[in-house]
Amino acid sequence: MDDLSKSDMKFFSDQQHCFADILLPHEVPARIQVVVLNFLKILSSPDPAISDLPLINRKSSNSRVSEGILTDVSWIFLSHSFCSRSLMKANATKAFIRVWKVMEMCFEILIQDKRVTQRELFYKLLCDSPHYFSSQLQVNRTIQDVVALLRCSRYSLGIMASRKGLVAGRILLQEPNQEAVDCSACGSSGYAISGDLNLLESLSMKTDARYIVVVEKHAIFQRLAEDNVFNQIPSILLTAKGYPDIATRFLLHRMSRAFPDLPILALVDWNPAGLAILSTYKFGSIGMGLEAYRYACNVKWLGLRGDDLQLIPQQSLAPLKPRDLQIARSLISSTILRDNYRQELAVMMQSGQGAEIEALYFNGYDYLVKYLAKKIVQANYI
Amino acid sequence: MDISSVQKLCIDLISSAVQRCRLSEDLCRLSVVLKSSPPIIRVSISDTGTGSCLEEFQDLKCNREGIGTEKWDGLLSIKTTSISDNKIYHYHLNLRGSVSARRLTRLPSILKNDAKFSGTEVCLSISETIDALLNDIKHYFQKMLILKIPSVAAELVIERGDASGLRCQNVFLPNECSPLNFSSSNVERLKSGLEEYVLKHRNSLNNKCDSCFCSREKLKISSGVARSMESHRSPGLIVEAVIAISEHSESLCFRSSGNKTEVLHFKDFSPSSVSIASLNALTSIDWRSYGLTLVSAVDQVDHALIEWESLPPYLHIDMVIHCYHKQFPGKCKYQPDRHLIKKGVKLALDDLKEKHTGLLLSAHAVKICSYAPDLASSIAGIILSSNDVKFRSKCSLLLELSQSQEIGKQTVEDRIKEKIISVIETNDRKPEKIKEAAPFLFEDDRPQDLDPADLYLEEHEGGDDVFSFPD
Repeated sequence: MDDLSKSDMKFFSDQQHCFADILLPHEVPARIQVVVLNFLKILSSPDPAISDLPLINRKSSNSRVSEGILTDVSWIFLSHSFCSRSLMKANATKAFIRVWKVMEMCFEILIQDKRVTQRELFYKLLCDSPHYFSSQLQVNRTIQDVVALLRCSRYSLGIMASRKGLVAGRILLQEPNQEAVDCSACGSSGYAISGDLNLLESLSMKTDARYIVVVEKHAIFQRLAEDNVFNQIPSILLTAKGYPDIATRFLLHRMSRAFPDLPILALVDWNPAGLAILSTYKFGSIGMGLEAYRYACNVKWLGLRGDDLQLIPQQSLAPLKPRDLQIARSLISSTILRDNYRQELAVMMQSGQGAEIEALYFNGYDYLVKYLAKKIVQANYI
Repeated sequence: MDISSVQKLCIDLISSAVQRCRLSEDLCRLSVVLKSSPPIIRVSISDTGTGSCLEEFQDLKCNREGIGTEKWDGLLSIKTTSISDNKIYHYHLNLRGSVSARRLTRLPSILKNDAKFSGTEVCLSISETIDALLNDIKHYFQKMLILKIPSVAAELVIERGDASGLRCQNVFLPNECSPLNFSSSNVERLKSGLEEYVLKHRNSLNNKCDSCFCSREKLKISSGVARSMESHRSPGLIVEAVIAISEHSESLCFRSSGNKTEVLHFKDFSPSSVSIASLNALTSIDWRSYGLTLVSAVDQVDHALIEWESLPPYLHIDMVIHCYHKQFPGKCKYQPDRHLIKKGVKLALDDLKEKHTGLLLSAHAVKICSYAPDLASSIAGIILSSNDVKFRSKCSLLLELSQSQEIGKQTVEDRIKEKIISVIETNDRKPEKIKEAAPFLFEDDRPQDLDPADLYLEEHEGGDDVFSFPD
């Protein structure tokens, strides 16, 4: 991927591409200092004013798609549309100040050469400025604002991604100066993926697997790991326990580059949320659009799909919730989905129903492995 | 003109005398003498203004239900002369007479023998307690002083004809704490007049109260003048509004409740009652943009009383509104214009805000100012955590702080806070339309496709797109 973005084949879409730089720890404080100096310059000028903070717009209106031409990877990126946070707008004053507070805290963290997780940052901010920060979600959003302002990756700010993801299966991972870890011997809990992207970058990987299987849900991952599915079908199992986080995507992306011959197959629920998760691994996201594009991978949809519905009983189909429909509408309106995915989505919406992977257990607890094996061997993925 | 009380009659006569003095271009003297031999008071109002014409007095109609005959017999004794007359005319006018012919009695004129002067003297006898009358007359003069009509010196003399035989005298001169030019405009006089009125506690003192107003800055005063065009329907009207805001640390003198403001009204250079137009104008002003909340505006006969929801402690607001028409002193009837009054008061408020930073900040600005310390603290935090000496010294330079190494966080924070608040206050003074968008932080980030609706993010924005879950 990185090779592609450095390649000489620049198409017009690259000019529109707005991205966050991955910077070294000393470079981000320099950017923050520039922000402060500019702010003070305008504040002390003969016609003083309080400047607004220009943020890259993280909305679908500012998102573009880069279609893979020579590769089969497409990704979502953000363009140069801005919105701003202003002190003077009555309802937005607090949000404005939140950006400054997070900048201040990141500055301090980087100067001290430390790293924190988003959770730790939330608690620090909660103690420091309880009037401004009330939830993790708010902190996460503000961090994205700072990313959009400074145009540097979240990791460059000293914020580590959460440790969500797990790996199991036929892969050996070795941190520098550490013993290699055999992920097939980790039991059903698997190897926990660190939130430290530098560390992930430095992992050396060896595998004899033939496939990489990305699993949506933790429970399914555990079942498959317990049943040693990777010994029946030489594979690597990966899960982010739900919506994919940057660290998991980062590692998956590394694997896809290190082992380009391994198809990456996704096992998700048959509902809009499942498809959304698959799409995020595949194309990236708008919310983290300034960075996520880097980790898009060519993930194929193994299951559950429309033609698998015959394998599960009628009663295991559940009606879609309003949130599912919202997600579906959003997916349909994005231009990046190809026709075969669109068709699946259309069927979901028409029937108004969805199904979870667990429905396969109706046929027996070992059915899942059989199902997986059969589909892989038949290359039944899109 | 109906007269409903003896006090009002006297005030009206004094008022006419004042107008006559005003019209004359020379220095005039106005004397009100009350000779009290209980139960009768002999009132004598004399002035050296232009001479009066009889119609003025004949227009006074006596209301039967108003003044009882026991209070006043209806007789006025008038002596008047104009500068061009060679006689002083003397009349007795009986306003209770039913037959008009028998009302006026001419008495022999007095020859002036080539002396050049003009003036009028009106005398009447009433049966009233002297104190009530005295109070009213004093109040009238105290209010008239606000107008600062130049060249009129008024005196009030009371001779008590009882056993003590006391004679006391009050002189009402438009004397100045700040001298005015003869050529000062009406509104300048009004400003000066209100200023003194407030400084002297409603002109009840002879000099300004030093305990309440020990420094000049305690009183902030401004004015606004609104004019309307002349048309066939109305004469050109002028509304002058003056607002005074005073702050005193401790009110040693008695003070009415700080949450109320008396709005004094003048019409055609005379104290007037409050019109409905004026009340409507006052209630329709958007006080919130000046940081004030109006609870009620009530007509209290000789002034309007505004009650505010809450004022900062020790802050007191006084207001005066003067409406007159351009063709003054010619008489003409007109309706008070609500829009003009509103405009005049708003001009005065804007003038006050313009001249004094931080005064009358709108509620919005006050709210934003409350966030300034936190913003300043964040920025100061960044500056002081930095290891980069060049950066820190550049910041000190921009903040006009000394370049020495020992600047504490508090100093930096305070300086930044000052600047932020000053910008907020300045912005608050600009009318909405002129407020520009704030400059963008990075020059080369000129937004290419600005959708104004999208431009400013609100509190809860984050995007509900499926692809935008933050992880």
